[in-house]
Amino acid sequence: MRLFALARSRKQWEPFAFASPSLFLIAVVILFPLAYAFYLSLLNFDLSVGPEAEFVGARNYVEALVRDGRFLGSVWNTAVIIAPSLVLELLLGLGIALLLNRNIRGRPIVTALIAIPAMVSPVMAAMAWRMLFGVKFGAINNLGRQLGLIDVYFDWFATPFLAILAVVLVEVWHNTPFMMLVLLAGLQSIPQELYDAAKADGASPWQSFWSVTLPLLKFTMAVGIMIRMIDLTKLFGLIFILTYGGPGGSTETVAFNTYLVGFKDFRMSYASALSYLIVGGVLVLTLVFMWIQRHREARAA
Amino acid sequence: MSVTLDRPATLTMRSAARHRLWRGVAQVATYLGLAAALVFFLGPFFWIVTTSLKGNEDFFAYPPVWIPSDPSLKHYTGLFTRSSGLRYFGNSLIISTLSMLAALVVSLPTAYSIARWRFGGGFLSTLLLVLRMLPAIALIIPIYLMYKAFGLTNSYFGLVMLYTVVYIPFAVWLLVGFLRDFPVEIEEAAMIDGCSRLRALIAVVVPIIAPGMAVVALFAFIATWNEFLFAIVLTGIETKTMMVLVTSFTTGGTDQFYGEATASVVLGVLPAFAVAFMLQRYLVKGLALGGTKG
Repeated sequence: MRLFALARSRKQWEPFAFASPSLFLIAVVILFPLAYAFYLSLLNFDLSVGPEAEFVGARNYVEALVRDGRFLGSVWNTAVIIAPSLVLELLLGLGIALLLNRNIRGRPIVTALIAIPAMVSPVMAAMAWRMLFGVKFGAINNLGRQLGLIDVYFDWFATPFLAILAVVLVEVWHNTPFMMLVLLAGLQSIPQELYDAAKADGASPWQSFWSVTLPLLKFTMAVGIMIRMIDLTKLFGLIFILTYGGPGGSTETVAFNTYLVGFKDFRMSYASALSYLIVGGVLVLTLVFMWIQRHREARAA
Repeated sequence: MSVTLDRPATLTMRSAARHRLWRGVAQVATYLGLAAALVFFLGPFFWIVTTSLKGNEDFFAYPPVWIPSDPSLKHYTGLFTRSSGLRYFGNSLIISTLSMLAALVVSLPTAYSIARWRFGGGFLSTLLLVLRMLPAIALIIPIYLMYKAFGLTNSYFGLVMLYTVVYIPFAVWLLVGFLRDFPVEIEEAAMIDGCSRLRALIAVVVPIIAPGMAVVALFAFIATWNEFLFAIVLTGIETKTMMVLVTSFTTGGTDQFYGEATASVVLGVLPAFAVAFMLQRYLVKGLALGGTKG
C-alpha cells in the first residue's frame, strides 16, 4: 500500500490521463453539440428558408408550450401510449416472473427465450408486427378468419383508437420481457426464510404474496417502471415503422414530432427547442429515478 | 405441528390428498401459463421466419399456409441482389464491430480511473448516468448540422465515432463494476516487478476481466446494430444499415415485398437471438440502463 501512496503522490496526473480520452470525446461529441443545440433553440434558424437566423430568445419555447397544438397533442399522445403500456408491462411481467420463480424445469432456457423480444431493435419489432397486422396477408387477420373470429379483412390502423391499441400491443410485446427480467431478479433476491416464516404462521400463498412478496418487490417495481417510463418518453423507431404518426397524427409521440419538425420541415431552431423540452422531461424522470435508487440503497444498508 | 397430530388420522390424509391435488393443478397451470407466454413472445418470429421461406408465394394463399410447402431461400437472394441487402448487412456488421471495439478501448482506462482512484467522484458518475438517459433526439439536430459542415454525413467514420461516444457512459459504468471486483494486489505485484500502470492494466488486468469486457462488447454491438435515429438521418445510399433498409419496405405497402421484408427482419434480429443466450446472466444489468438502445 505504501508503494501505491508513493506512486499516487508522484503521479497526480495519472487518473486524469487515463480518463481524458473519453472525457475529451464526450465533450466534443455530446456536450458541445448539446450546448450548440441550446444556442440554436434561441434563434429562428430554418434550413428551408435559408442560412440566416436571428436571436429570438425564448420565443420558440413559448410557442411550443402555449400555441403549438401539434406539440401539445404529441405530449398527450405519448402519455396515452405510456400509461396503458406501463400497466400491462408491469402486470404481465410480474405474472410471468412469478411463474418462472416457481420450481420449474428448464427455467434458464425459458427465461432466455422470453427475453428475446427485449433484445430486438424497436424498428425490427415494429416491422414484424406491421406485417402481422397486414390487412390481406397478415397472420392476425388470416388466423382470425380461419378460426371464425372475424369475417372481413380488418384494418388494424383504421382509427386513432385502434392504432394506439396496436402501438401499445407491440410495445408490450417488445418490453414486457425486460420488466419480467427485472422483477424475476427482484423475486430471487427475497430470502426463502421469509416465506417459510409466513407459512409457519399459517399464511396462505395469497397472504404471503401480499405481505411478503409485494412489499419487498416495491422498489424493484419502481425502478423498472422508471426505466421504462424514461425509455418510452423517447419512443421513436417503433412509431416510425408501425404508424408513421398516423392516422391523423394520433400516434405522433414527442420524439417523432420533433424528428418531423427537424428533418421534414427543416425548422432546426424550433426542433432544438422541442428536443430541449424532451430533455427537461427526461431529466425530471432521471432525478426521480436516482432518488428511488438512493432510497433503496439506504433501505438495504 | 402438534395440532395436526391431535386430529383424527383420516382428516389429515384427506387434507394431504387435497394439498397434493392443488399442487398438481398449480404446477400444470404454471406450465400452461409459460407456454402461452412463449407463444405470444416467439410466435411473431416463427411467422416471420416461415414467411421468409415461402418460395412459391404461399403468403398470398387463403386458407393461409402456416408451414411453407416448398421452402426456399429465394427471398434472401432477392434481398441480397435486388435490394442491396448484402451491402447493408455488411455495413451493419462493420459499423457495429468498429464501434464496439472503439468503445471498449476508450472506456476501459476511464473505468479504471474511476474504479481505482475514484476519479471525478460523485459528479462524474452522475454526469455519466444523466448522459446515459439523454434522448438521442436532442443530439441529432446539432450533430446533423455539424456533420454536414464537416462532410461527415454518409460516412462510416462519422457514424462509428458517434456510436462509440454515445456508448461510452454505459460501457464505463459496466466496466467500473467489473474492475471494482478485481483484486488490487495482483496489479501491485506487477508494478513492483517494474510494470508501468498502463502495462499492468493491459497485461495483467485485461486478461482477467476479459469475460466482463466481452459482455460490454456484446451489449455495445447489439446497441449499435439496433440504433435507428442517427442511422436514418446520417446515412446515405452507401452507408445505410439494416435498420434503414427496413424502412424501404414500409412505403407503397408491404404486400408486394412480403418475402424480402420478412427476410430482412430475420437478418435484422439474428444478433438479438445470439446475444439473448450468450448474455443471459447479464441481461437485467445490461438492459436496465439502455444496454441495447443506441
